[in-house]
Amino acid sequence: MIVAERKPIPEILKMIEPFEKIAIIGCRGCVAICSAGGDREVEILASALRLARKEAGRPIEILEETFIRQCDPEYLKPIEEISKKVEAIVSLACGVGVNMASDLYPEVKIYPGVNTSFYGANPALGEWQEKCRGCGDCIIHLTGGLCPIARCAKNLLNGPCGGSQNGRCEIRPDVPCVWHQIYERLKARGEVERLYEIWPAKNWIPAGHGGPRERIREDLQVNNAKQSQG
Amino acid sequence: MSETKIAILCCHYTNEATTEDLAGIPAKVEIKRFPCSGRIEVVDILRAMEEGAEAVMVAGCEMGTCHNKLGSLRASKRVKVAQEILQEIGLEPERIKMFFIPRLDTGAFVRACKQTLEALLEILEKRTQERHA
Repeated sequence: MIVAERKPIPEILKMIEPFEKIAIIGCRGCVAICSAGGDREVEILASALRLARKEAGRPIEILEETFIRQCDPEYLKPIEEISKKVEAIVSLACGVGVNMASDLYPEVKIYPGVNTSFYGANPALGEWQEKCRGCGDCIIHLTGGLCPIARCAKNLLNGPCGGSQNGRCEIRPDVPCVWHQIYERLKARGEVERLYEIWPAKNWIPAGHGGPRERIREDLQVNNAKQSQG
Repeated sequence: MSETKIAILCCHYTNEATTEDLAGIPAKVEIKRFPCSGRIEVVDILRAMEEGAEAVMVAGCEMGTCHNKLGSLRASKRVKVAQEILQEIGLEPERIKMFFIPRLDTGAFVRACKQTLEALLEILEKRTQERHA
């Protein structure tokens, strides 16, 4: 999932400083799962902002909504009506949601309420760990399913650095050296010979060369307005 | 009676305190009982303040005696989050206090309420001094 974290409240207060009526819109996708932008976080932020503004002698009215997702246009439709009732919107979706909403409703002032952090897993309650960097050319079939790009502090592709000590990372000793883990994993699986293969240089073009990445599936586009006009 | 308002969020099992028990507290005290203190959310604490409480006392069973095992531990963690939020918005985190109270011990409950009020009065006094400094 995409992992995010609420921005510091003073930063959000500064964004909404000129306004007297806003909406906070959460998302029931990834940010709800990582407890940064779901229904509960919308309630908490709204209450905190109201308290802060009351304390500052400038009360604020806040509408609270949570959409199923904010990365699909159809779920963002209610913004049309909400934006008529408020001066600005704070979105607790990830950066994808805020961008999508801002693309679709350029006249509406939409501000981010979270910092989008990484693609991560949720190994235990209240704990999220980065596992993928979204580089677009996955190599983890060669590394026992463990990604050295996301999980090595130096993004190394050819084994551990000289600083790896007793299976721990030199940059962050609380983190295991992923290359140590890769070796141990492949050895246990009887696949260590994969590390003796010479890999071609990694293709970094899919990682974002040439600007924002996009993916088109024409077979899924039959219902698009653009296509049906053709 | 003072206009100072304190909200108490607690579990059903913590106490059987009545308005009479709290009559000696020189503040308006509002008690909101939950099936378990583990059900008290961060937003419940903040909303109590939005509704006019200047301090909030959260009371759960003593550690290890919670009917639902970890309810009061959960409550204490949420109190911490609410305190951090108060700090972020420039209010004193000491306005929110967590107490672990022996089950059905009204005396301890009333004492905790007094401590909450005392902490609030200190905050208000400090604020007054700062305004006049």
